[in-house]
Amino acid sequence: MDILDLSSAVLLIIGAAFFLAGTVGLLRFPDVYTRLHALAKADNLGLGFTVLGLVLQAPGVAAGLKLILVWLLALAASATLSFLIARRAFAKGISPWKPEEHEL
Amino acid sequence: MQNPLNTPRKYPIKVLVWRATLFTALWWILTEGNFVAWGVGLVSVILALVASLILFPPGTSRLSLTGLAGFLGFFLVQSVKGGVQVALIALRPRLDLRPAVLDITMRLPEGRSRVLLANTLNLLPGTLSIGLEGRYLRMHLLDKRIPVESGVHEAEVCIARMLSLPLEEL
Repeated sequence: MDILDLSSAVLLIIGAAFFLAGTVGLLRFPDVYTRLHALAKADNLGLGFTVLGLVLQAPGVAAGLKLILVWLLALAASATLSFLIARRAFAKGISPWKPEEHEL
Repeated sequence: MQNPLNTPRKYPIKVLVWRATLFTALWWILTEGNFVAWGVGLVSVILALVASLILFPPGTSRLSLTGLAGFLGFFLVQSVKGGVQVALIALRPRLDLRPAVLDITMRLPEGRSRVLLANTLNLLPGTLSIGLEGRYLRMHLLDKRIPVESGVHEAEVCIARMLSLPLEEL
């Protein structure tokens, strides 16, 4: 196993860890807004590290750039989508969760 | 501009060459450096060029390359910070959230740049955009004890530099 494969494996594991954390947040967080925080931010980082790990194994420059392009498009989509979901939820009158109303 | 498809317009050659080069590069990336399907590629590049001229007519805002680099640098660092922060909060045994709603006045001028700011903030630490009305941006904060305003203002400055836009007075 050379240094390139090793770094690639480490980056992929870091990526998976962020996906895991994002999913844990999705399950544990109390409302739509806090869940969107977890999904948008942690998953993008997860995808970012996954893409970096895969770029190291890409067969050529174009294939590597294509992976980065995939990440940028997913980034734009998730940033836009979470704004649209959150805006709709707030406009519909779903009030954000507050710790005072529940047990801390 | 009522009907951009039927109105003959003069576009600067420089803009056309720039965009055509960009879309050709994109096609090269998508086909992974394989120019076998160059016929389909040529049609795609021309269609992309026409679509871009309709959706982003030249002259509305100028993309500054140093501004773009600055924005990307800021965005990369801050989105890593945002991801790490929310991952740690999610994995902490005792869930400690103090959400709040915060309205801020934007200094970016009317238009796409404000939407870009609202979208960008979703990937930055602690902020989620939940409303955009006029100059006001409503945000949901994951934890009100963590200050976010300086980050928001920095994001505004980066976007303004990237699109060569002036910032309005508060």
